[in-house]
Amino acid sequence: MRLRGFHRVIPVLAGLALILVWALDFAGVQPNRIVPATGFPLLSAIGGGLSAFYLVGLALLIILPSLPWRMPVVKTIRTVIDVLAILLLAGLPLSLAHFSRLHLSPDQPFARVEVGAGFWCLLFFLLLIMIEVLRDKGTWRRLMTAAVVLVVWFYDVRTGALDALSLIREYHNRSDQFATVLEQHLALSLGSVGVSLVVSFFLAVAMTRRPRWQRPVFALVNFVQTIPSLALFGLLIAPLSYLSAHSTLLRDLGIRGIGWAPAALALVAYSLLPMVRNTFVALTEIPADLLEAGRGMGMSESQLFRQIKWPLALPVIIEGVRVTTIQAIGLTAVAALIGAGGLGTFIFQGLGQAAMDLVLLGALPTIGLALLADLLFSWLARHWRVIPEITS
Amino acid sequence: MMWRAWLRPLTWLAVLLLATVGMSWLAPLFHWLQPDTRTVVYNRQDFLYLLWLHVELVFASGLAAALTAMIAGILVTRPGGRDFLPLASQIASIGQTFPPVAVLALSVPALGFGAAPTLVALGLYGLLPVLRNTLVGLDGISPTVLEAAKGMGMSPWQILFRIELPLASRVILAGVRTSVTINIATAAIGSTIGARTLGDPIIAGLINGNTAFVLQGAILIGLLALTTDSLFEAIQRRLDVRRGQSSVV
Repeated sequence: MRLRGFHRVIPVLAGLALILVWALDFAGVQPNRIVPATGFPLLSAIGGGLSAFYLVGLALLIILPSLPWRMPVVKTIRTVIDVLAILLLAGLPLSLAHFSRLHLSPDQPFARVEVGAGFWCLLFFLLLIMIEVLRDKGTWRRLMTAAVVLVVWFYDVRTGALDALSLIREYHNRSDQFATVLEQHLALSLGSVGVSLVVSFFLAVAMTRRPRWQRPVFALVNFVQTIPSLALFGLLIAPLSYLSAHSTLLRDLGIRGIGWAPAALALVAYSLLPMVRNTFVALTEIPADLLEAGRGMGMSESQLFRQIKWPLALPVIIEGVRVTTIQAIGLTAVAALIGAGGLGTFIFQGLGQAAMDLVLLGALPTIGLALLADLLFSWLARHWRVIPEITS
Repeated sequence: MMWRAWLRPLTWLAVLLLATVGMSWLAPLFHWLQPDTRTVVYNRQDFLYLLWLHVELVFASGLAAALTAMIAGILVTRPGGRDFLPLASQIASIGQTFPPVAVLALSVPALGFGAAPTLVALGLYGLLPVLRNTLVGLDGISPTVLEAAKGMGMSPWQILFRIELPLASRVILAGVRTSVTINIATAAIGSTIGARTLGDPIIAGLINGNTAFVLQGAILIGLLALTTDSLFEAIQRRLDVRRGQSSVV
């Protein structure tokens, strides 16, 4: 019997990783922040020992799943593959630490280590292998694995072994600013999501009471969602600066043509579509037979709401919050262009100065926040799903 | 009856072209908005040329992305590629949580400045909605329909082109629509990494504090998005009408 499911996927992924990590530069040394780096291929970058660890590890991931193992051994082999994948992934920062020991001399205080294309490809394919390995595992196993890998990575960063890494240098240079920018980003995106959640709830309730409103409301929020972000930010600047120029009250509140005000307005407007749609669906599409059964049991209207409608609606509403939050985190990054602050400030400053590490310092946390929001809200939605599946 | 479906996209297109060609006619309005500035209409590049570049960028990346994603989606739903189906759908759903701006920004360290990284970022990002919807569309076809087709003696190719793709076409088209909508917006941001698009006037206006420039770029991008969206709407309507007439399902 062969390893069901991943007997072809993991070898293909590991094979691609093997080719790319061998062919591309693994890491490079930058004499200072702006000068381009000199790259090193795998073998000269991290020396024979570590290279062998990665090459043999990947080769095993190609060979092991492809062999025709017999039944009792299969389980052991699967565990070996799991552990191997975790080791390779968790060890990645160590390879960079080793690289900086080998290639940076203490007489170059401004030199930094740049992560090369080979490393990124290895990381990417190892993550895909991890996804494939964890596919049929439970939530607990997935969380444990993620925790182990993250703890090892974090430990490596804490020991200072990666301090020469360009991204970490860049972070240390602006750790105060990073905290401010992160705070702005979270406040703007989560604040807008919160406001739009409240607005959407009332809109959705109003639409269930007055069906005539449905068409115009959906037409409007659809229309807004079609307008590209940069254009909507731009369109709001002119009226807001006009208003602010003619009203001292608005000026005192800090509302100007550029800054957080147009950004927040646009973000709330964008958030309305996914939120209104999901809230409306959640409130209206409750299976009639469930309500019938509730009434049959002698439930009052408020009991119906608390015990049937609300528990059924909650996961759908949370799904709306998930989509909206992910979208808002991305759009907040764009809002930095109109002076709203947030992680986008780093991205666009970095692009302006051609300082790629600064771009990464803005872009990677933005992606991280979006993934985190995705994980959190998918988990919440699953957690609060009272009835496993609604059959209509 | 037939032409009425196209009335809306054609109207938006007319408004878009009129605004592109005739932006300078609105100069008095922009003067009123921006009284202390000499140049109130963006003149570093012709609006029509920028519109063309913007559309070209979105169309090229969209076409490449849609074709690649559909082929990938078809391959992983064949018996030989089924092993890769869970991974493909995971990539499609995780990838879509990546903010488009971040993907655009990450393409610069990898590929440098200019139109090329924008094209690659748009193409990669545009893949995901189409891939996801292709998988949903092909996977959602009821096995009995496929069994029936097999029973009628259809070859796998015939089943794919006559049954599966037509049945999934609506969902796939919706994916293409999402992908193009996102890419029109992201291409505008491509101006910050050196691609020439309709985002140029906005960025120039923001840097120089010229609200009129910002407004001009924003109006044209908005109109382009509305034109494209209504075009997809019309195509979807046509598809539904044809579906209703032929009653394959």
